[in-house]
Amino acid sequence: MSGVRAVRISIESACEKQVQEVGLDGTETYLQPLSMSQNLARLAQRIDFSQGSGSDDDDAPADGDAHDWAGTGAGPGAEQDEDEGLVKFQPSLWPWDSVRNNLRNSLTEMCVLYDVLSIVRDKKFMTLDPVSQDALPPKQTLQLISKKKSLAGAAQILLKGAERLTKSVTENQENKLQRDFNSELLRLRQHWKLRKVGDKILGDLSYRSAGSLFPHHGTFEVIKNTDVDLDKKIPEDYCPLDVQIPSDLEGSAYIKVSIQKQSPDIGDLGTVNLFKRPLLKSKPGSPHWQTKLEAAQNVLLCKEIFAQLSREAVQIKSQIPHIVVKNQILSQPFPNLQLSISLCHSSNDKKSQKSTTEKQSPEDHLYVLEHNLHLLIREFHKQTLSSIMMPHPASLPFGHKRMRLSGPQAFDKNEISSIQSTEGLLEKIIKQAKHIFLRSRAAATIDSLASRIEDPQIQAHWSNISDVYESSVKVLITSQGYEQICKSIQLQLNIGVEQIRVVHRDGRVVTLSHQEQELQDFLLSQMSQHQVHAVQQLAKVMGWQVLSFSNHVGLGPIESIGNASAITVASPSGDYAISVRNGPESGSKIMVQFPRNQCKDLPKSDVLQDSKWNHLRGPFKEVEWNKMEGRNFVYKMELLMSALSPCLL
Amino acid sequence: MGVTCVSQMPVAEGKSVQQTVELLTRKLEMLGAEKQGTFCVDCETYHTAASTLGGQGQSGKLMYVMHNSEHPLSCFALFENGPCLIADTNFDVLMVKLKGFFQSAKASKIETRGTRYQYCDFLVKVGTVTMGPSARGISVEVEYGPCVVASDCWNLLLEFLQSFLGSHTPGAPAVFGNRHDMVYGPADTMVQYMELFNKIRKQQQLPVAGIR
Repeated sequence: MSGVRAVRISIESACEKQVQEVGLDGTETYLQPLSMSQNLARLAQRIDFSQGSGSDDDDAPADGDAHDWAGTGAGPGAEQDEDEGLVKFQPSLWPWDSVRNNLRNSLTEMCVLYDVLSIVRDKKFMTLDPVSQDALPPKQTLQLISKKKSLAGAAQILLKGAERLTKSVTENQENKLQRDFNSELLRLRQHWKLRKVGDKILGDLSYRSAGSLFPHHGTFEVIKNTDVDLDKKIPEDYCPLDVQIPSDLEGSAYIKVSIQKQSPDIGDLGTVNLFKRPLLKSKPGSPHWQTKLEAAQNVLLCKEIFAQLSREAVQIKSQIPHIVVKNQILSQPFPNLQLSISLCHSSNDKKSQKSTTEKQSPEDHLYVLEHNLHLLIREFHKQTLSSIMMPHPASLPFGHKRMRLSGPQAFDKNEISSIQSTEGLLEKIIKQAKHIFLRSRAAATIDSLASRIEDPQIQAHWSNISDVYESSVKVLITSQGYEQICKSIQLQLNIGVEQIRVVHRDGRVVTLSHQEQELQDFLLSQMSQHQVHAVQQLAKVMGWQVLSFSNHVGLGPIESIGNASAITVASPSGDYAISVRNGPESGSKIMVQFPRNQCKDLPKSDVLQDSKWNHLRGPFKEVEWNKMEGRNFVYKMELLMSALSPCLL
Repeated sequence: MGVTCVSQMPVAEGKSVQQTVELLTRKLEMLGAEKQGTFCVDCETYHTAASTLGGQGQSGKLMYVMHNSEHPLSCFALFENGPCLIADTNFDVLMVKLKGFFQSAKASKIETRGTRYQYCDFLVKVGTVTMGPSARGISVEVEYGPCVVASDCWNLLLEFLQSFLGSHTPGAPAVFGNRHDMVYGPADTMVQYMELFNKIRKQQQLPVAGIR
């Protein structure tokens, strides 16, 4: 075999027919090509019947490589062959057997399905119930895509709208300057009275429509603000409308009311207190017209108040005449006391600003009175307005309604004079100032007494509610630690305009003048009386007997304030007696009376021979009160009494 | 405005009207009454014009237009036993316009003038009643200020009147009687004055009749 020479082998291309086997001799036996029907059967065998018809499209490319024709044409062709196969070749032709089996299976399934459906239709034994299923993954992607699409659509619509809006805004901006003047004018008209005179627009600042009789015309002019370069950037506070205010109403003004103890030098009058209030730092640029007009109206009102006050100050006759100097009205409500009402008007020019740098004195404004002045002038306005209230009888003169009715209702002289007496602004404000001053002075007096004197104590309870002309305070005088038993002195002080009325607990009324000394003396005498009252109360509690009691003792040294009061109490057994004399000025003097048998140095009396007289009380001995122990008078007294009482245990 | 009693004080015998008034005022001053200016009450009579009278024999009613200085802004118009109208002082002007209906009686104006005294709560007015130029009598008006119900204070008034009028103290005025526990008003005073004036007018006529 080794000598065998290499054999040349020729390779031929495969013939169309498939080789079934190659014989030992090299002959090839060819497989007979399949007939049409055989081919069909082979293909039919390869059909997987378990797959649903819906997935046919997907399977088709995977199934056949070169059998495209079979994918499309196999359906009807297979059915035809199927019928033949079933009838003719059932036993012999095996290739169709699987098809047959599959068809049979499907028929069985169809029959079962039909049965099930018919049973379900009856709804007797079986019902269909939906089963919730999770969305399938391929569907989620689908949803995402659809959402994306719709969102994109919405975004487009929004973008379109935004574009349109920006367009209109820019258009507005262009038209703004032209239109703003008119809209501002409209706004101005809502708050202020305007009228057109010639080619000007004039406004009214005055309170005439509210009932003011002040002769100032109070006219302002409305002008168009044109001094702004339209090309440049417009400042934020730019307003196309501006107002021109009369020069005498410019700036700011206020009424200042103050009470001074000493009258200042007459030479300074009218110039001081002018520009005390620091000017508010004005913002760059002109303020808004509304603030401008309000300030001007305030100036006008202040001027009116001052004019009214100064007119009254000149007209009213008082004991001490009111002085009107420049912008100040001076009045003396009480001696050594000066009420000054001044009009402070500061304009914005540089000259006045310089004066604000002056050193400022402590503010002594009476804001309450300043506020009340404004209220009073409004009331005055209202009165003039209400007096011409319509409807009004044609035959009658204008006047107050009560005045009008006084004829038909036959008012007598007193009633008519009560209607007619109208107090002026100045009189009212002076009265209020007097009251305020009197109140503060009374409060100061009570406070200083309370802080100066510890025994007895003074409590003042000011009532929260008060009138402009009257307020009240309740003053309690007590001893510390004995508040419950020593409640004898309770005073109600009604502070009026000119005087203070004191109402005792028992209804007695004492009228004090405005002098603070009177109130102080009165309270001192009450405190002195309180001590004696306290001893009386204490004696009751301790079981001592009151022998004599007097609020106003006629004996002994004369007090400069009030009267001394005295009390004598005897111990329960009657052995001892304590006599107390208490004066507002002289202070307290306490004497103790001992039984005669305790006194050694008592001279033998010719009259009292019998020993029974020894039980009588003998002479008095003064107690050194300062050296007594105890924190206050009543406590000391309690100690003394208990020392002199026999021990009951 | 309180309760008022108006009465007539007869002229003392052997004395003139002026002297009697002086006697009274001196008594008041002795009591401690305070002089407070003067007062005046006047009355004018109007009768309805003949043209407006309907049937015959119907005599025209008399209307009295009165003023009281105590009520300086009012004018009172009264009919005898009739209503009392209280009006503004403008009523006088109106009366001029109503000439066709009400005609003023000639020389009918009667008035009383005098001094006004305040004695605590009492207001006393002693006046001389004059008709034309001649003095005809004396009127005494006493008002008690704090009360407005006549029956409540009549006794007090009476006692006060007795203190200085003595035996000439009048009885309760007729207006008190018909308004029992009613509030006394200014019109009631005017009715009393009207009655007083009418009485004095008749007194004037009576002596004349006596002479006949």
